[in-house]
Amino acid sequence: MSDWRSEGTSGIRGEALGWSICSLLFVILWGNMPRVLIVDDHAVIRRGVQGILSTYPEWDLCGEADNGQDAIRLAGELAPEVVIMDVSMPGMNGLEATRIIHDVLPETKVLLLTLHSSSEFVRSAFRAGARGYVLKSDAENELVRALNVVIGEGTYVSPAVDARAAKESIFNN
Amino acid sequence: MRILVADDHDIIRRGLKELLTSRSGWEVCAEAKTGREAVMLAEQLRPDVVVMDISMPDLNGLEAARKIRKSLPKTEILILTLHFSDQLVREIVEAGVRAYIMKSDADRDLVAAVEALANHRPFFTARAADMLLDGFVRPHSAQPDPDAVIRNRLTSREREIVQLLAEGKSSKEVAVSLGISVKTAETHRANIMRKLELHSVSELVRYAVRNQIIEA
Repeated sequence: MSDWRSEGTSGIRGEALGWSICSLLFVILWGNMPRVLIVDDHAVIRRGVQGILSTYPEWDLCGEADNGQDAIRLAGELAPEVVIMDVSMPGMNGLEATRIIHDVLPETKVLLLTLHSSSEFVRSAFRAGARGYVLKSDAENELVRALNVVIGEGTYVSPAVDARAAKESIFNN
Repeated sequence: MRILVADDHDIIRRGLKELLTSRSGWEVCAEAKTGREAVMLAEQLRPDVVVMDISMPDLNGLEAARKIRKSLPKTEILILTLHFSDQLVREIVEAGVRAYIMKSDADRDLVAAVEALANHRPFFTARAADMLLDGFVRPHSAQPDPDAVIRNRLTSREREIVQLLAEGKSSKEVAVSLGISVKTAETHRANIMRKLELHSVSELVRYAVRNQIIEA
């Protein structure tokens, strides 16, 4: 949980580079680039995620959905390594979709990308089977780091959210 | 065409930039994280269009728009919000802003709105357009006493202070941040509370959240 912190002492870019070893290792072991599905009802956020990932060619953005139902359908079709999921969406919300994807595709890691920083949200996210929790306000600096952590079988929570509450729920699982 | 993008969230600026630069000949010449930064950069760079979020720290998008329109009448402004609000449409139009869209519709509306502004034509999200047209066709429907409205309208300075107070600043901090005396800041504060019929800072915060002056 805290091992990623010890990686980088040379600034954010240094940490990101350190962690890209995870995705490289993934490429070597599995023979393909880790694929990411992005789910958000706002196109501007989906474009933002695309913009961030475009500077990290080892990540393959394989699909997009703007609601929970389509997310489940696309996840089933594409079996991506990671789903980046918004929480508040019309129709089926991100937590519900996370629960179902976690059930049906236990190998797929769900990383929540949200505006909500309350510890209750974090708790229900991990209870639903999410492996990472990044605030939209921190996405620019943390998204790729979080992707590398979850794909390396770790758990990631934005330092800005109530980390203690999150840890409790992880350890109780 | 040169566009200034202002939003306090990096990822939203990134997304707006991706959407805007998908058009050839469109360039994002600068990015701002607060309303004050947006005003400063706009005055420096004189962009053709400013694309701006309404909820930003320090100075919100609406106040920034008023300042930019005042010093750069040729620069067109597009306001983006997360939620639709009738009250806001009125204030946006009064601020001289000629385009208003919802963040959720950015993929459909953003390019079309900026294109309209480039030709100095207005662009409003369908609901706002309906509302404005409705007000034009039936100007007297359910309008409060116009004298009272004008009497109780906040001045530009007062609106700036509403945001600073709602962000948790004391009268003294407000005075320092705006370069005015504490006494003046307190007078402004009293006038704001009277005009808005508010009785406590927590009511003021609620007012600011409801009107998207600050984020909840």
